Amino acid sequence: MDPAEVEFIAEKELITIVPNFGLDKIYLISGDIGPFIAGMPIDVPLWMAINLKQRQKARIRPPEWLDVEKLREKKQEETDSKFFTEMPCKCYIEMTTLLLKHAVDDIPHADETRTLIKDIWDLRMAKLRSSIDTFVKSDATHAKLNHLTLMELNTVRPFLTKALDQLNVLRSNTGPGAQYTQD
Amino acid sequence: MSLDALENYYDLDDIISTNEKIPCKIEIPIYRLGYLDSSSVNEHLTPGSKLEFPFWMARSLCSRKRHMVSVEMPKQYREAYREILTADASVVDLHKLGPYYFSFGIHMLKFELPESPDVAKILVKSFQQRFRKVMDSSQNCYNEDTSKLTDKLDESEILLFRAGQHGLNEFVRWETRQTEKLTTSEMVKNHRKRKRAIMEDIG
Repeated sequence: MDPAEVEFIAEKELITIVPNFGLDKIYLISGDIGPFIAGMPIDVPLWMAINLKQRQKARIRPPEWLDVEKLREKKQEETDSKFFTEMPCKCYIEMTTLLLKHAVDDIPHADETRTLIKDIWDLRMAKLRSSIDTFVKSDATHAKLNHLTLMELNTVRPFLTKALDQLNVLRSNTGPGAQYTQD
Repeated sequence: MSLDALENYYDLDDIISTNEKIPCKIEIPIYRLGYLDSSSVNEHLTPGSKLEFPFWMARSLCSRKRHMVSVEMPKQYREAYREILTADASVVDLHKLGPYYFSFGIHMLKFELPESPDVAKILVKSFQQRFRKVMDSSQNCYNEDTSKLTDKLDESEILLFRAGQHGLNEFVRWETRQTEKLTTSEMVKNHRKRKRAIMEDIG
């Protein structure tokens, strides 16, 4: 999968905006949105929020978890835990990247937020790599990883699937099930 | 070279990997082919003389039905090298031991030599041991010269390395918002260059 496709999926996530215009209910395939009343907060999909923001039709209200204090706690939790912790949003990296790109003025302490999210991402990727390594080194046939997000999975996917393929080929030659074809 | 492409008739890497030489001992006299063995002046190949054949040839000369030659394990899979790999596989230069160490190793198992089970085991163990290095190096270098990192890797590991790089590069490109920029397709670019070259030739 392309990261752009992952982003596309993440854009369906709802986010609160405060519009500065009025509009009747609009009917979309994914559901009805509106009516928009100037000054009244409303939940819309991320793609629409960004589009409205770009045209300066709305202010975006950052999601609750996108807060320096909360992210600091999250980072601490992620550092302390041996396993992956549950992220407040399944597409945290996509959302923050998009918001920091298009609506940086709506996010308080944008720079610090960016650093914190990047730190959490790096922590989780390091954890993911060491769990992959442990899995490959052990002779286990399956592993369970909770709370991984799509983007994290997507970054290691080409590598991981290939590695497991190769390992499987190598392994099929050992053990009692080994079959040698000989004509 | 992906290992699961083994036995794919048209796979170029598979063709190259089956071209590796194997030391063989001639079991029956083969007439008029003495010139293959440059160390003897005989007209015929005599039983007991040692020659190196590529894998694909040895495979058809040595089977249960036909036993014209007997095959020996190539030295990079023998006891001494297996011990080196057991000690620490991650520092061994597998590219030097044959760029297709893993796939050629799997091919060698088909001869059912007495040491085959050990070789099969050491292949798995080395892969597992070296895995971490391949993964970390592929995920941690962006926009750098990678030839230093890959020069000790076997061809199948290089493939893995590339896959890791692909994942990382795609992510970084997305993160720096380069994916949303539209770029000229390579084909169009090359076409234009070629057209220009032709025009300049005419002019």
